[in-house]
Amino acid sequence: MKKILALMLTLVLTLSLTACGDSKEDKDASSASSEESDIAYVKDKGSLVIGITDFEPMDYKDESGEWIGFDADMAKAFAESLGVEAEFVEIDWDNKIMELDGKTIDCVWNGMTLTDEVTSSMSCSNAYCNNAQIVIVPKDKADQYQDTDSLSDLTFAVEAGSAGEEQVKALDLNYTAVKAQADALMEVAAGTSDAAVIDSLMAAAMVGEGTSYADLTYTVGLNNEEYGVGFRKGSDLTKALNEFFSSSYKSGSMTTCAETYGVQAAVIEQ
Amino acid sequence: MEQILEQLPIVLKALNIGFLQTLKLFFVTLIGAFPLGLVIAFGSMSRFKPLSYFTKIIVWIIRGTPLMIQLLIIYYFPGLVLHNPVWGGGETGRFVAASVSFILNYACYFSEIYRGGIQGVPVGQEEAGLVLGMTRGQIFLKITLLQMIKRIVPPMSNEIITLVKDTSLARIIALQEIIWAGQAFMKGSQGISGAIWPLFFTAVYYLICNGMLTVLLGRLEKKLDYFK
Repeated sequence: MKKILALMLTLVLTLSLTACGDSKEDKDASSASSEESDIAYVKDKGSLVIGITDFEPMDYKDESGEWIGFDADMAKAFAESLGVEAEFVEIDWDNKIMELDGKTIDCVWNGMTLTDEVTSSMSCSNAYCNNAQIVIVPKDKADQYQDTDSLSDLTFAVEAGSAGEEQVKALDLNYTAVKAQADALMEVAAGTSDAAVIDSLMAAAMVGEGTSYADLTYTVGLNNEEYGVGFRKGSDLTKALNEFFSSSYKSGSMTTCAETYGVQAAVIEQ
Repeated sequence: MEQILEQLPIVLKALNIGFLQTLKLFFVTLIGAFPLGLVIAFGSMSRFKPLSYFTKIIVWIIRGTPLMIQLLIIYYFPGLVLHNPVWGGGETGRFVAASVSFILNYACYFSEIYRGGIQGVPVGQEEAGLVLGMTRGQIFLKITLLQMIKRIVPPMSNEIITLVKDTSLARIIALQEIIWAGQAFMKGSQGISGAIWPLFFTAVYYLICNGMLTVLLGRLEKKLDYFK
C-alpha cells in the first residue's frame, strides 16, 4: 500500500515538474514577442492593466464602484485609443516596480511623482501635472511657520520613500517615516508629530474646511515636482502615451477632463 | 460619535466585502490543505527514503520561512524571473496565488499534525489487524483513521483559528481582504479619510468568526469522545 502510494507520489511530483517545464517554454515564446513590443502584448491580451491606489482626485471610486478621477479618466481614454479595455487594479504602492516588472500590471498611473527612484526603474511618460511638496501644520500654529527657516525646531512625519522624505532629508529636519501620506496627516492631527510633508494635490483635497482635517492647514511649499506615468523599461507604450497626451492636450479634452476634477491649474502643456 | 454613525453604513459595506474575501481564502485553504496535508504526511512517513527525505525538505522550507515571503515569491516570481505572469494582475489572479501559497503552507503544518496522530495510535493495534489478516489499507481505514482524527482535533483547531487571522497576510500582494478594506479609510476612500476606527473594527469580525469556529470545533471534539 505504502509502496504504491510512494510511487504515485513520485509520479505526481515528476508530472508537476514537467508541467512547469512546459509552461516555461510558453513563457519564453510570449516574452520574446513582448520584449519587441509592449503595445502588441497589451493588444494581444485585450486589456491595459493600470496599477493604482485609492488617491483622490486622481484615482478613486464613485458611488457605483467605478474608478474615476483625472488619471482614471485619462487612462480609460488612452486604453480606448489602443482599442483595449482599461482594467484598474489596486496595488500596494511599495510594490509598484515589482508589479510592473512582474507584468501583473502594465503601467503605474496614479499621480506618481517623477523621482530618481521612479525614473531609474521605469520608462516614464512626459510630465503631465505639476505638484509640490508642502508643509502641513495645525491651523492655530500656521502663522509661525510661513518660511523654510522656521521649520527647524519641528518634528515631521513623512511617507517612507516619498518625495516629501527626500525634501526633509535635504533640509536636515527631524522626521519620522510613516507608511502613507494619510498616516503622516494623522500624526499631525493626533499631535504625535508637529508637522507633515505631503503632495499639494492631495493636501488640496484632504486638508482644511469641509474635510476630515479641518484643523490643519498648509503653509510652505518645499519644491516643485511633476507627475508622470510609468511603464516597463524599454516599453513602446511610453511613446504611444506621449503622443496621446499631446493630441488630447491640443484637442482640449485633457483640460476638460482636468476641470471635472479641479486640477486644471496643475496640468502641464504637452 | 455622530460622524461615526454617519460613516457606519459605508464602512460596514466595505468591510463585509473584504470579509467575504477573507472567508473565501479561509475555506479554499482548508479544502485544499486537508487532503494535501495527508499526502505530505504519507510522503514523509514513506519507507522509500528519497521520497521521505524530499518531502521532509519541502516541509522544512515551507515551515521554516515566513508566509509573507512565500506569498511574495509565489506571486511575483513567475513574472519577474520567468517573464510569464501566470497569475495575471486582476483580483482573481491575486486570489489564486494567495490560495496556492496558503494551501502549501498549511498543508505542511497539517501534515505534521496528521503524522503525530497516525504515529500516536499504538503499534499493538496495527499488529492486531495484521494477525486478523487485514491488509495495510484496511488497517489504515478501519483502525487508524478514526483514532487519528480524534487525536488531531485539538491541534487542528489551533491551526484553523490561526488560519483565520493569517489570511490578513495576503494584503501584501494587494488581495483586498478585510484589513485592507479597513485600512483604506485611513488613507481616504469613498469620501472618508483619516478614520482609524474601521481598522480596529475589523477585530470584531475576527472575534465573531473565531467564536463560532471554537464552538463548532468543541462540539466535534465532544462527538469524537467515545474513542478513549
